[in-house]
Amino acid sequence: MSYGLLLPELIIAASALIVLLDVFVKNSRGRFAGYVSIIAILVSLILVLKDGLVDPTPYFNDTIVVDSVSQIFNMIFLVVALLVVIAGVAYTEDKFHPEVFYSLLLFATLGMMIVAISNDLIPLFVGFELASLATYPMAAFERERRGIEASIKYFVIGGLSSAILLFGLSYIYGVTGTTNIPQIAETLSANIMKPASLLGLIFVVAGFGFKMALVPFHMWAIDVYDGAPHLISALLSSASKKMAFIAGFKVLIVGLIALRFDWYIGIALLAVITMTVGNVVAAIQQSVKRMLAYSSVAHAGYIAIAFVVISKSLEHAEIALAGGILHIFSHALMNGGAFILASIVAAGVIARAKPGEEDNLENYAGLGKVAPVSALLMAILMLSLGGVPPLFGFFSKAVIFLSAIKADLLWLAIIGVLNSALSLYYYARVVMYMYWKDPVLERVNEPLLYVLPVAIATVGVLLLGLYPPTYRWAFEAAHTLLQMGGVP
Amino acid sequence: MGWIDYAYWIALLPLIGFVLELFIGKYTWKQGGIFANLTILGSTIISIGTLIEVLGGARIDVSVPWFYQGIVVGYMIDPLAIVMLCMVSFVSLMIHIYALGYMEEDPDKSLYFAETSLFTCGMLGLVLSNNLLQLFIFWELVGLCSYLLIGFWWYKPEAAAAGKKAFLTTRVGDVLFLLGIILLYYNVSHLPEPLTFQYIFSLEVLEAIPPTHLTAIALLFLGGAVGKSSQFPLHVWIPDAMEGPTTVSALIHAATMVTAGIYLVARTYPIFIASPGALVIVAVLGGFTALFAATLGLVVNDIKRVLAYSTISQLGYMLCMLGVGSIIGAFAVGYSLFHLISHAFFKALLFLCSGVVLHGLADTRDLREMGGLLSRMPITAIAMLIGALSLSGFPLTAGFFSKDRIIETAYEYGVATGDYLPWIFILLAALLTAIYTFRLWFMAFTGEPRSYLAEHAHEGSKIMTAPLIVLAAFALGFGILQSRFYEFVGANFDTHLIGELAHLGGYHLHHGGEVPLIIMILPAICAIGGIAIAAGIWYNNRVDLSRYISKSNPIYRLLWNKYYLDYIFKDLIAERLFGFVALLAEAFDRCIIDGIVNGISRAIIAIGSGLKRIQTGVVETYATAVVIGVVILILLIGGVL
Repeated sequence: MSYGLLLPELIIAASALIVLLDVFVKNSRGRFAGYVSIIAILVSLILVLKDGLVDPTPYFNDTIVVDSVSQIFNMIFLVVALLVVIAGVAYTEDKFHPEVFYSLLLFATLGMMIVAISNDLIPLFVGFELASLATYPMAAFERERRGIEASIKYFVIGGLSSAILLFGLSYIYGVTGTTNIPQIAETLSANIMKPASLLGLIFVVAGFGFKMALVPFHMWAIDVYDGAPHLISALLSSASKKMAFIAGFKVLIVGLIALRFDWYIGIALLAVITMTVGNVVAAIQQSVKRMLAYSSVAHAGYIAIAFVVISKSLEHAEIALAGGILHIFSHALMNGGAFILASIVAAGVIARAKPGEEDNLENYAGLGKVAPVSALLMAILMLSLGGVPPLFGFFSKAVIFLSAIKADLLWLAIIGVLNSALSLYYYARVVMYMYWKDPVLERVNEPLLYVLPVAIATVGVLLLGLYPPTYRWAFEAAHTLLQMGGVP
Repeated sequence: MGWIDYAYWIALLPLIGFVLELFIGKYTWKQGGIFANLTILGSTIISIGTLIEVLGGARIDVSVPWFYQGIVVGYMIDPLAIVMLCMVSFVSLMIHIYALGYMEEDPDKSLYFAETSLFTCGMLGLVLSNNLLQLFIFWELVGLCSYLLIGFWWYKPEAAAAGKKAFLTTRVGDVLFLLGIILLYYNVSHLPEPLTFQYIFSLEVLEAIPPTHLTAIALLFLGGAVGKSSQFPLHVWIPDAMEGPTTVSALIHAATMVTAGIYLVARTYPIFIASPGALVIVAVLGGFTALFAATLGLVVNDIKRVLAYSTISQLGYMLCMLGVGSIIGAFAVGYSLFHLISHAFFKALLFLCSGVVLHGLADTRDLREMGGLLSRMPITAIAMLIGALSLSGFPLTAGFFSKDRIIETAYEYGVATGDYLPWIFILLAALLTAIYTFRLWFMAFTGEPRSYLAEHAHEGSKIMTAPLIVLAAFALGFGILQSRFYEFVGANFDTHLIGELAHLGGYHLHHGGEVPLIIMILPAICAIGGIAIAAGIWYNNRVDLSRYISKSNPIYRLLWNKYYLDYIFKDLIAERLFGFVALLAEAFDRCIIDGIVNGISRAIIAIGSGLKRIQTGVVETYATAVVIGVVILILLIGGVL
């Protein structure tokens, strides 16, 4: 048996340990660890892209399956990790024990990748926890008050929700007698075993709701994204949150597909409240970082529409899932890029602003003049987040809304569109500040290592929506997922 | 293989121009503009080549599948599309040539040309689109470019504010349009064929949509058109948009982008005519806007704002034409488009002339500081006179033929349906149009110079006056093409199909109603009468109006304050209402959710006060939130138990 398809995970795991050797490299200041991480992630990414959409290949008694779904999600996680690591090389230069940053980041990525390839509740939960445990300390990486506070909040709530999730999973195991996800689907479709299975469902939805930051499970996310260093926020909102979605896809759509009528109302309500609260509150934020945090909540609401459509009509499940996957991808790029970019601006004002005010929108005034490259990138990312065609953010959202229309959920599509329209107001406000105001900052440094990852994300946002294979991948992955759940 | 097979290059060429201008424009001849001009010249040539083939009967409609079944990209050429393409590329070319002179001194010239190229690409792409989703994408693209261009001189606070206002207002229309598309796709997305216009506009498809949905779709599309074409009540952004460069005003706010709304209604005319009641609203709204904007044009002193109001008013005519067209069917599109195109010529001409005036007077736009410019800038004065005559509908100019036909049809509509309101609206508007247009011309060009700047005004450079002469020729002579044009564009939609659809919408088509001679010459009387009134008052400032122009005159005050609509939108709706909603939302997030959570957590703490408390600050609140969420979910999902 060849383990070639698991090579990306193995490389990441090995490099997570190798980077710790940075302590022994003279005058490295984290650069050794940074470059090792970049190379490891790049190699893994290339391997994933090279294999592309593989046929489902089981490993270890079917507990792990590499298929098109895991490939596309691994690609997303690796891309986000790459963006963060590139900026990280500049970021960790003057930090205490920079190698820890890379090691934790690689472990977190590994955890996410394990979630993506797992076909069984046990590895899924292990991966979930690995990613969570690695990201808790990262939020406190700067060892200052706000970060530590964020980290502790994240940890406590994370622990609680993991417990809830595990509790729910234990019910499912108790009902079906198996932890293998497709087998769970099979058992449940033969005998639905209410109400015990429903109890499991409730706790699973709540557990995932936390990680996906759906309202009302979202409040930790705002404080954590706001309090953590920018790069960590990028990782959390673009990758760690997306891990919750792939886990949710696997458990809910594959495992618990037989219960889909029962989650319909609950998730529909969660999706609508999440979009609306996220957008409306984002609209009145003065801090760009908090605005991004709320908007990230709102986008989770759009993605959650996929669950609603699937529970309503299996006929259009494929396009709904594909839309969800596409939006996960586009949002990872847009949000990750925007958070990294916000750190450029914050670094430019750090000297003159009170702590906590370095992300104020005021600081973006006239950025088009003092930092033209950053401003242009930020403008494109903002417009894409707001769903302006022909950027990726528009198309991915369009596919989700289209699926809602097809499934006769006109009201949901309309709420989505209105939300999206509202969101453009506050995204555009950033653009207007950057281009139509006099600069407040005299000079903003645009370090290459920060601009490069944002530029990569922006190029992706510009091109991927117009690139047909993107859609083919997403539809293929959606198809595979549904097949696993036994949907024709 | 003819021109028509390469027609997509009409939109692609300006895109190339955009990229070249953006990256290397600064280092080329005159620091920018060469690529934009050359690529748009290319578009114009292809458009005209294609026009000749379409006149010979060629049509094309090509699509390739996109990301999902039923969703395609493609382009189509039919008479409606090709006349728009020719007009847009040609007028855009004229304005681009002119801009070489107008923007000569601007430090960001290459950026300007990059943006206008992208805009032109968007506009041409919009016209070429053969399905709604693609049309919407270009629709948003032109919108985006227009905000950028309005705010091009962002260091003027008014310009930045105007860009913002345009964005906020037109977005309302865009969202309505998008909702319309969603509602339409909701009704047709189960169909197997790709959702191109050609496919949707068939009797079987439209028949299957419930009439209430059809009307809703049509009205939502109308909402989009109202935003883009700045009709009442979303017209408030255009006058402020005059803060942008004059070439932008000519390109975007006169000839091209604002006509996109009219084009949308014309393109989706089969839906409108199949929707009960929709066209009645179109007629009244268009007619009302025509009159409403004309009254506002009477009092403003800013030369560009007068033109801006006249644009709103003339777009109202086009919309009204499509509305009253419910009695003549397919030909309505031809009539409306004819006015659209003649308007594009004379309005672009007027704006470009005002640009020369601005250049000559150090950017003064106040008519009260002009006067006596006829002898100082004769070419511009004559060109502007031609534009003004055409706008007023003076007999035998292009504007006369196009407007006359609309007013006549509105009368026939009145005879057929008993609803004379649109006719009265636009007839009165015709009179007012002549008055305010010539008020502008007389105030600017006759009499004594009323300021130092006006005394020392000078004619524009050759590169600026040459396009004026070309456009003036069209503004004067385009009318001779009228019957040929009506036949060509009027046949865009299958007459038989439109007849069937009109039946569906409950409209009765009439043929060849007799119009009394007095009604036929009434528009001409209005035009000449209006000019005479304007001459009587403003030629050499004969009548002293200061008695009436005062803040104590309630009518003047009402007009001066633009019927207080700005106040209603900005202060009442935008600030108070949204502020209130946002406050509610924040209260919801911070008080209700937090409040419930806090309350419960306090209760839990109170209950568990015997136990050792863990002081985790607010974390416990959030933890309670998770627990409450679970409880809510249990209730929701458990409801099915």
